[in-house]
Amino acid sequence: MTASARDRIMASVRDGLLRAVLPDATADRAGRWEPPAQVPPREVLVDQFSRTLAALTGHVHRAATATEAADIVIGVAAAHGAASCLSWGDEHLGCPGLLSLLAARGLARVTYEMSGDSVERGRTAHDVGRVDLGLTGAHAALADSGAIVLVCGPGRGRLASLLPPIHVAIVSERRMWPALPALVQAEPGLLDAGSNVVVVAGPSRTADIEMTLTHGVHGPKHVHVILVP
Amino acid sequence: MHDAALAFHRRIDAALADGALRRALALTTGRLARGRTDAFAAMPDAEACRTEARRIRAHTIAHLDRYLDEFTRAAEARGGRIHWAETAADATRIVTDIARRHGITLAVKSKSMVTEEIELNAALEQAGVRVVETDLGEFVVQLAADRPSHIIAPIVHLSRGDVARLFQEKLGAGQDDVADIPAMTAFARRTLRSEFLDAGMGISGVNLAVAETGSLCIVTNEGNGRLTTSLPRLHVAILGLERIVPTAADLAVVLTLLARSATGQALSVYTNVITGPRRRGPGAGPEAGGEPDGPEELHIVIVDNGRSRLLGGELAEILYCVRCGACLNACPVYRHIGGHAYGSVYPGPVGSVVTPGLMGLDDWSEVAQASSLCGACRDVCPVRIDLPHLLLKLREQAARRKLAPLWLRLAMPLYSAVATRPALYRRLGSIAAWLARAVERDGWIRQLPGPFAAWSASRDFPAPAAQSFVQQHEARGVVTGAAS
Repeated sequence: MTASARDRIMASVRDGLLRAVLPDATADRAGRWEPPAQVPPREVLVDQFSRTLAALTGHVHRAATATEAADIVIGVAAAHGAASCLSWGDEHLGCPGLLSLLAARGLARVTYEMSGDSVERGRTAHDVGRVDLGLTGAHAALADSGAIVLVCGPGRGRLASLLPPIHVAIVSERRMWPALPALVQAEPGLLDAGSNVVVVAGPSRTADIEMTLTHGVHGPKHVHVILVP
Repeated sequence: MHDAALAFHRRIDAALADGALRRALALTTGRLARGRTDAFAAMPDAEACRTEARRIRAHTIAHLDRYLDEFTRAAEARGGRIHWAETAADATRIVTDIARRHGITLAVKSKSMVTEEIELNAALEQAGVRVVETDLGEFVVQLAADRPSHIIAPIVHLSRGDVARLFQEKLGAGQDDVADIPAMTAFARRTLRSEFLDAGMGISGVNLAVAETGSLCIVTNEGNGRLTTSLPRLHVAILGLERIVPTAADLAVVLTLLARSATGQALSVYTNVITGPRRRGPGAGPEAGGEPDGPEELHIVIVDNGRSRLLGGELAEILYCVRCGACLNACPVYRHIGGHAYGSVYPGPVGSVVTPGLMGLDDWSEVAQASSLCGACRDVCPVRIDLPHLLLKLREQAARRKLAPLWLRLAMPLYSAVATRPALYRRLGSIAAWLARAVERDGWIRQLPGPFAAWSASRDFPAPAAQSFVQQHEARGVVTGAAS
């Protein structure tokens, strides 16, 4: 049944293509446009990223060491009364030792594994949903949009950057790109690196009611990015 | 006029008489259009990027069979399950079957135009599945048993007071919950969060699919797209068969324009890329090396529903569309009548081509008339679709199939006969000018008599000058082509 529906649709598409009026269609593979070859110096990109994210009501911090990063995370947690965090594994945070520093200062890590069973799964989701702070690393940052790129995967759960009202992400300044096309051209396999790759530009927002911008509708309301060397 | 046209005109009259709607439309479309203008002004290579985006979309559509094949193979290789739906009924049956097989009673849904097109919610409700729209605007639309009125701003037509009343009446919200817009947003978050945590199925549309990796890109600002595709055990994605790009690099180019065109953002808050279901490790449990979350099953329903037929004709260029909504905000007609007046899921200039293209001209020839052909839509389209040209093609088809009004079908050949005979044209022109001056008031003609009354009801003309252009030209002693 499904196979024949496929065949009929493909036949109809091929038939349509015989008569289709498609201005500017080319036979060769698309992809000739190159993003600007001249990449601005890193400080310029970092500055652009920081200004853009701040304009989106995100917060940018800089930390030279794991201890400094821990200070920042503890500060954010204290400001919002967060007692625990949903975090990626320490090896994925780009800041070795951070999780044990945080644990020593009272911010416990909640771990989870979603079950394949629906009921079990719902219970886990409700538990995980109560955590106040999510902590992740980031694969890259994009200067033009103030966005960070998260490659979710083993030890890098999706929910840490999604369920808690606060998201703290750590990204290396060396991973700063001018814009998405440059990053994807440099790393063509990026999208396939996990079942979910997400580009996050600031806090969750909506303007559906009377065009009034409001933050934190479904995703995190507070986004903090810690830039490390 | 036939029934569909009469109904269309009644909806237009109602929209134009609604002062609150017109104020809301002016605010929303104005702000979105300005956002777009500013975002493009800040982008030095915007035009080169548009050229490339158009090339990508044109190339993909011209080789759609190949890319559909590549996409489905890649998606299946990563554990996705592909379903093919020729019609809306096939698509809704496929989704309800999946729900039934898994005993689903609650589904969460992120905003998707194609699911509106195939009327998926009604079919699922009928199959005993409660469906919850999770985009704030769509959630309100659902509570109101209404329809979205803008592709990306679904409740342009409702005020904060309307939303507050709905939340109180339908969800028992208290005074504090609806005190202001942030409070209402927080109330919606709380209400919808528990639905997300309990739902067995997440349903999404797809902004763009990537052929080479079988990836699905779903863009939202709220984060509901991520929750829908991450929390429930099943993810069902509904993909219009034309929404494909060849590679990740192509996706990045189109994404560079999509949010800028829609709202003026460089990127939407969440550009979510899904490649297959959750990837399991070799063992079980947290140490098994697999992903800790994500859906166990990913179903991709590829919907034709008229698209392949549309492909085989003069309107095929509309399939380049990436549904940013920029043409709505730019259109002087949309800006005055809003989305509901069009009577279709797809409003505005793009909708006036897509709707008759997918549903057929018989019931939808009139929407192509709802345009001044000013070209603003083409100017803002990120892939430069020649919308005025496509609207003209539709009008031409309607005339050929005798769907145009009788007076128009009689008048156009007559006009053409006159306009191709200069002497006759000039003689009749001076008679028309003489007649026009007879009905002029204060230098303006506001109402024409008899058969022209309806046509002139919404049009004012300055009275013709005493002498025609050619007469004035000759009086200046200039030798004109017409006089020689």
